[in-house]
Amino acid sequence: MGSTTLSDYDETVGRQRPSDRQASAFSFHGNWIDFLKIAVPNMLLTLVTLGIYRFWATTRERQYLWGQTEFIDERLEWTGKGMELFIGFIMVFFLIGIPFAVLQLVAQGFIFQGQPAIAGLLTFILVMLLFYLTGVAYFRALRYRLSRSYWRGIRGGSDDSGLGYGLSYVWKQIAGAIPIFLLYPWASISLWNERWSMMSFGPYRFESNADWTQLMKRYLLFYLAPFLLFVMAIYAGVQQARGGGAMGMGGAAAMGGLGLLLIISLYIILPIAALMYYSKFFRVAVAGLRLGELEFEFKARSPDWILFFLANWAIWLLALALAAVPIGFIMAGSSFSPELFERREMTPALIGTLALSALIGAAAIGLVNALIRYRSWKFFVVHMEAYGEVNLDRMSQSETEVSGHGEGLLDAFDVGAI
Amino acid sequence: MSRFFSAWHFDGRTAVRREVEVQTIGPNFFLREADRQHGPFSFAELRYAGEQGGAQVYNLEGEDGWRLGLSGPIPEELVQNLPATRTYGGIIDRIGLGPASLVFAVLSVIAVAIVVWSPQWLAPLVPQSVEKQLGRALVGDFGGRFCQTPKGRAALAKLTNSLDANPGDLQVEVANIDMLNAVALPGGKVVLFQGLLNQAQSPDEVAGVLAHEIGHVRERHVMQGLLRQMGLAVVLGGFDGSGGATINNVLSTTYTRGAEEEADRHSLKSLAGASISPLPTADFFERLSRMDGSAEMDKDGSSRALAGYMSSHPLSDDRKQLFRKARMTGKTYTPALSYDEWNELKTMCAQDRDVKSGWGFDIG
Repeated sequence: MGSTTLSDYDETVGRQRPSDRQASAFSFHGNWIDFLKIAVPNMLLTLVTLGIYRFWATTRERQYLWGQTEFIDERLEWTGKGMELFIGFIMVFFLIGIPFAVLQLVAQGFIFQGQPAIAGLLTFILVMLLFYLTGVAYFRALRYRLSRSYWRGIRGGSDDSGLGYGLSYVWKQIAGAIPIFLLYPWASISLWNERWSMMSFGPYRFESNADWTQLMKRYLLFYLAPFLLFVMAIYAGVQQARGGGAMGMGGAAAMGGLGLLLIISLYIILPIAALMYYSKFFRVAVAGLRLGELEFEFKARSPDWILFFLANWAIWLLALALAAVPIGFIMAGSSFSPELFERREMTPALIGTLALSALIGAAAIGLVNALIRYRSWKFFVVHMEAYGEVNLDRMSQSETEVSGHGEGLLDAFDVGAI
Repeated sequence: MSRFFSAWHFDGRTAVRREVEVQTIGPNFFLREADRQHGPFSFAELRYAGEQGGAQVYNLEGEDGWRLGLSGPIPEELVQNLPATRTYGGIIDRIGLGPASLVFAVLSVIAVAIVVWSPQWLAPLVPQSVEKQLGRALVGDFGGRFCQTPKGRAALAKLTNSLDANPGDLQVEVANIDMLNAVALPGGKVVLFQGLLNQAQSPDEVAGVLAHEIGHVRERHVMQGLLRQMGLAVVLGGFDGSGGATINNVLSTTYTRGAEEEADRHSLKSLAGASISPLPTADFFERLSRMDGSAEMDKDGSSRALAGYMSSHPLSDDRKQLFRKARMTGKTYTPALSYDEWNELKTMCAQDRDVKSGWGFDIG
């Protein structure tokens, strides 16, 4: 290293063309064995610290993922700190978690005191407030991630607090849901545009002009799939009855088969329709993004998404099977029976058995989740493409504010940033 | 990783990458390009940032985006001036992953142990007045579901007085809810549900259950439970959602068992003091556990109501034996209530015209 080929870099005009040099402007250099060398100690430390280490674990994971991602000719850098995420979590715990828990108790108290109307109103207000905060959380998580992502010593960010975005989030989601959820694509694309338009990288502000109408065909496909399946089943049933009215038993068996087919298709066709929509969403949303003279494209198509999810699913199954073996041995080796657990006759040996099994289960789940985060990042990077030019001299440092705390809100509501 | 030492630099002001040479002068250094020089910078302000594409990367304190990347074999005189590299950060790097994990594990076990055991000593320190207010705020009057008739209340008071030496700070109520259960709530409140009175065949059975709940009040189990739940929520708050809840459940089964035993011992003492036989209570438990096993009960819905009692009062053979063996031969036992009193207590909710019934809402 240390010899980034400057031949691609036109010194005279200080310009870099992303797509001239290589197949893609984005490339990923990581491998899952190196990633596991980070994920396994992370898992161990998270378990022995009762979960507190997970903020530092997240940071180490991102340092690896960002550091293995190359944009044009230079790696990305994650500069977030575990302590920031921890402080964010503590802030949310005390400023939101505890007040909400207390208010929930108060609402319960109203129920016991025979005031269900007041309890209902209070609960409604709490739910709306959480809804609003979820919107704010999406915004702030994206802002935080951009402000901690560096490329060639330059970072991103936003000067907006996201409080206004939270209001948009509430009203657009509700407006999208009112016409029996038909305007959901409008709500999500409009929010995407609004969110990204307030972000910047270096001196450039993102522009986002994705067009939601391009999504409607796929959305209607997903939306109408259950009805279509239902109509098809009825039509087939009628045909069957007409054609084979005298077949008796054979006809009944065919009907049973048809029902089974309907159930299977619900479990296969619906998720595929959902993924097809999701795939289109990302292509449309990313294509609408612009940063300075850079344009973006997300190249993953429906089959890529389906394969991606199938593989994730296979990893889950494999991990569950692997975890079930030691847990089975431990359970069989002790005098464990569900009935004893039911009756709460807990002996120290039984508690040990349960604790050990819970640890193995938690470790398996934690590792699978880490691997899926790795796969998701890789999926995202390898399908990203950028076109246009970066003027390295004009790419100056971001002047956005840097907040000292991490993704507390986001973490608390368990949502993803992009 | 290059075989030759090389250095690159971003100044954090533009995205231009500079191939530089590091020139050390005492505690400071310059970064020299072909045609210009950056610096001086102080080694003391360098911070290790991490590894990036095979290079060791350093930040400069206070300079946003300033980076110095060093790859290949770093010259000796430079190495001694550079801050140490980090893998995990802080303590873990200093003592090693294995020992650090061990230390964390021990600390975690201690923290959980403190949270599980300390409420036993902390609960009695919470003033009764605070607990009473808490009870009022949380539970109130169950939305008007407590049953009231003069004779019924008198029977209930008689039962309570016979079981507790200091009944003034207890508030025993019958709730008009068809649920086979009884609970002790904050502030000395004990609630018997009508479903329990319906299933009981004698006042002695109710006396055993009531004395058990009073035991929870007297041993401050309710406050202990609240403190423990709060403490565990904090200590296990680091885990996300289900993981913490699972551990919490496993832990709760261990300490509820101890509390139930304590309440049983209290119950037996109270029954003995009131000369009420413990046998009917043992029979009651026996009937409950048989009901639990029989599938026919599902039809009339009793087993769903039963689940309430079973989940909050685990019934074990030990428990039944405890009550059965507590009977002293030669001692004369008297019924807890007369036939009329028992009747008044059982029918109190049916006689009370003002009382509300059921939950009035779906508790799922």
